[in-house]
Amino acid sequence: MKLGTTKWQRNLFIATFILPTFLFFCVFMIYPVIQAMYYSLFDWSGSSDHKTFIGLDNFKEMIHDPIVWNAMGNDYFLVVGKIIGIMILATFFAIALTRFRFKLSNFFRSIFFIPNVISVVVIGVLWNFIYNPQIGFLNSFLSLFTKDKVDITWLGFTSHTIWMLLPPAIWAGIGFYMILLIAAIQSIPESYYEASGLEGAGQWTQFRYITLPLIWEQMKVSILNIMMTTLNGSFVIVMIMTNGGPDNSTQVMGSYLYQMAFTQYHFGYGAAIGVLILIVSLITTVILQRLMHQETIEIS
Amino acid sequence: MKSGGLNPIFKIIFFAILIIWGLSVLYPLLWTLLDALKNNDQFFRKMPWSLPDIPLLWSNFTYVWSEFSFDKYFMNSVVVTIGSTLLGLFLAATTAYVLARYQFKGSNFLYLIYIASMMIPFSLALIPLFFLLNSMHLTNSSFGLILVYASTLIAFGVFVLVGFFKSLPKEMEEAAAIDGASYFGIFFKVMLPLSQPGLITVGIVNVLNIWNEYIIGTILVNDPVHYTLPVGIAMMQAQMQYRTEWGPLFAGLLITMVPVLVVYMFFQRQIASGITAGAVK
Amino acid sequence: MVSKTRLAALGIAALLAVAPLAGCGSSKEEAKQPEPAKTDETTTKTDEGTKTEPTDSGTKKLTGDFEIQYFVGGYGDKWWKKVIADFQAANPDLKVKESGGPKINDQMKPRWVGGNPPDFVYIDGPNLNDRQMVEDGQLEDLTDWLKDAKNIDGDKITDILAQPPQEFDGKVYDIPLVLNSWGVFWDKALFQEKGWEEPTDWQSFLAVSDKIKAAGTTPFIHTGKYPYYINGAILYPAIVSANNNDISILQDMAASKVEAFQQPAVMTALKKIVELRDKGFIDKASIQINHTDSQMLFLQHKDAFIPNGLWLPNEMAKDVPGGFSFGFIPSVTQDAGGKVVANTSTANVAIAKNAKNKEAAKAFLEFVFSKAQASQWAELSGAPSNIKGDISASNAPSHVKDAAKYLTDANTVVVPAITFNADVDKAMQDATDALTISKITPEQWVERVVEAAKKASK
Repeated sequence: MKLGTTKWQRNLFIATFILPTFLFFCVFMIYPVIQAMYYSLFDWSGSSDHKTFIGLDNFKEMIHDPIVWNAMGNDYFLVVGKIIGIMILATFFAIALTRFRFKLSNFFRSIFFIPNVISVVVIGVLWNFIYNPQIGFLNSFLSLFTKDKVDITWLGFTSHTIWMLLPPAIWAGIGFYMILLIAAIQSIPESYYEASGLEGAGQWTQFRYITLPLIWEQMKVSILNIMMTTLNGSFVIVMIMTNGGPDNSTQVMGSYLYQMAFTQYHFGYGAAIGVLILIVSLITTVILQRLMHQETIEIS
Repeated sequence: MKSGGLNPIFKIIFFAILIIWGLSVLYPLLWTLLDALKNNDQFFRKMPWSLPDIPLLWSNFTYVWSEFSFDKYFMNSVVVTIGSTLLGLFLAATTAYVLARYQFKGSNFLYLIYIASMMIPFSLALIPLFFLLNSMHLTNSSFGLILVYASTLIAFGVFVLVGFFKSLPKEMEEAAAIDGASYFGIFFKVMLPLSQPGLITVGIVNVLNIWNEYIIGTILVNDPVHYTLPVGIAMMQAQMQYRTEWGPLFAGLLITMVPVLVVYMFFQRQIASGITAGAVK
Repeated sequence: MVSKTRLAALGIAALLAVAPLAGCGSSKEEAKQPEPAKTDETTTKTDEGTKTEPTDSGTKKLTGDFEIQYFVGGYGDKWWKKVIADFQAANPDLKVKESGGPKINDQMKPRWVGGNPPDFVYIDGPNLNDRQMVEDGQLEDLTDWLKDAKNIDGDKITDILAQPPQEFDGKVYDIPLVLNSWGVFWDKALFQEKGWEEPTDWQSFLAVSDKIKAAGTTPFIHTGKYPYYINGAILYPAIVSANNNDISILQDMAASKVEAFQQPAVMTALKKIVELRDKGFIDKASIQINHTDSQMLFLQHKDAFIPNGLWLPNEMAKDVPGGFSFGFIPSVTQDAGGKVVANTSTANVAIAKNAKNKEAAKAFLEFVFSKAQASQWAELSGAPSNIKGDISASNAPSHVKDAAKYLTDANTVVVPAITFNADVDKAMQDATDALTISKITPEQWVERVVEAAKKASK
């Protein structure tokens, strides 16, 4: 009997702690999203009060839409570029600010995080100004070293313009991962390094055989997170900086979704792109996890 | 040799890299301030890094503050940010605690749902979300915004706090249980105080995110009385496209940026230690 | 390690909340409209003060709620504030609600979808397209009403419109309130100082551009981020000129008829853009900049010509350097001796099909389309309204008078309202951008747009 009461109490407790949250979550997050995905089965302008059910036609059309493929390519370019750029720099900073004992380490640590607290709108405006061909920072700076005025249109190449969106994305993303890796490094017992130091191991050896294996788990999480946030969120900076142009060359899936759903009056099609983003994210997560599956060493 | 010798040449190179990166972060902030004090003419005639002319146009700030009712938006932002952060924190913490400590049917599945939801492109949901709130008579209201924002914070909060609760030692709960504390008592009297660093971390991250949010705000609020700061900025930016007032635009950007920077400056230790607590077991 | 879960997050919360701010999309170009223009005016003051008190003695009293949606862009909102206040004063029992702002089109969209729109809408700015609204069945059919509608002064509205409304399958859904024209601007003062001739046709345009380039100035800048500027001011007039001044080709294009895009006139027009490109007349910066940036560079004399609309001087009023004097011509692509082609652009007003107070909305139309309000519009927004009037004696800015001269000249081809299908429009914009940076050939331009038109006409 006592046991029964406890069990009942336990269940009541679990329910009171789980259900309200779940309710909020379902009502304000899941329900609208599911409803939006349901629209991917319709031909709907997004501004009309009637819609036509067309089954999977939106998805079939997507296969023949070169912009979708191009956008997906750009997305993966950003994913790969950001993972490489952010992980190298963030790891470097994390190690430099912990293992190298530089002066001002704390100062650097706090300012490097600043881009992460700034709204992406500000970041977009800022970098647009840097890239501005006539009055921008970059060309003005380069012109100091050349005879003629430099007038490169950084965001207007016939191809590969997407490359130019990588620096702002990396710049804005590093701080968080750096803090993460710093935390991981600091949790490695100093004795490991001391022991290897006695054996004459240099910084590189220590990095390769102590630091890297022990922070690999955090790096994996970071890589997954970069992938997810990029596929899902990189479109904001794209829309602010290039609007997907010129000629759709910087379009990513998210910006194309927005373009279709909200400015070209194909909400159903946009919703289908949203479903695509979700599927691509899930598949990529699984693949990345397989790829990175490697024995991790746990401390303690 | 402290921590394995580092070649002095490398040391100098590395330090230089740190300095350069630091400048790349700090300079834009300074630049935003300088440009907030310029007028259009200076924008287009002078070098991007040149100083603003004297007299400095501080009037850009007062102009923004009054012309665009930034004082009102500021208060709205404060209310919405605090309200949704607290609510979101509470919703996330309760679920996270249960998920971390109690196994029940479907608990893993529930956890997965929260995590997977972070991959969904939420911008799609804007229109259905509007209808939902409209039918509940919650558009154009700070309360409605708080409910929605709090819900968007749940997944992230659960994500971080489950890990955090798991990392706390079980002994104290066991001791409290033996003393006859109820499930609720254990949570509120023992676990919540213990998990303060984690809660603060999540809270601050939430504050930063909500403070900068404007898309949902734009759709759910179209009465200037209820605008938040980022919505105000977005409106102003949209308007700027037709009026080109760069100085005031940058002044507005700065007004939105300063509070988050201040929050960050004050709480950076918590942010770092919170991430640490979550990241490393 | 437990942690996979926890830490990852910071960025994530952010992404849950994101979406774009985006550029201005397609701002002022929205609608344009049909028929030869007569006059348009812009005045600071015409007749009896600003407002005769609207003595609608005979009419019944308007009551209930009445909501007006208006976009705030280059024209500002002064006129709207004033006209709404006036209308409210004239109808004290009516509860007028205004929903205005630079993002109002996005903000109100859910309500249109939900069947709960405002009563009255001003169609201007990004993400609001009259063709789409008509297709979506959002707008009230005004055909019959307009036939004998009279404004508050007793004038027949159709008689005083400079540009008649665009017809969709023979029906009228919205009425142009603002009349504008695309065209090419330059600084008269600068041209005089340097001894450059003002262009009157394609040959003289190219000739003076050569001179300008030789003098070290870039001849031509456009708004590459929003290519509808160059399409509206250069490409479409060029197509009409190449089509023997027959405007039906543009109307067929607007109706997404595939053959229209395959006409030789389109190719001829595209080759003119290629010519500009190959002679190095187009400022390289164009491709990545938005309208305000390109306009500023133009005002700073970094570039001599800019394709734009008549709103330009007002939009940039605060930044026009002293001594700057706007020169304007609706088109430069006609051959010497050929007619000037004025591609007009209008912003329209309409009544929602699901309006709850159509009576008030119609009364508001009658109120708005009066001479008094027209002159008030000109005064408060600095742009020509769509109501006829003689402005030659007024103190309207010189470029507006220039434009009026062109629009009323028998030797001008006035292109009526064209709203393209949104997909075709986007395809043309992208293709033109690609053309200006040598990414594609004119043949590929046609190919692409034909593809889009095929899809759209399905």
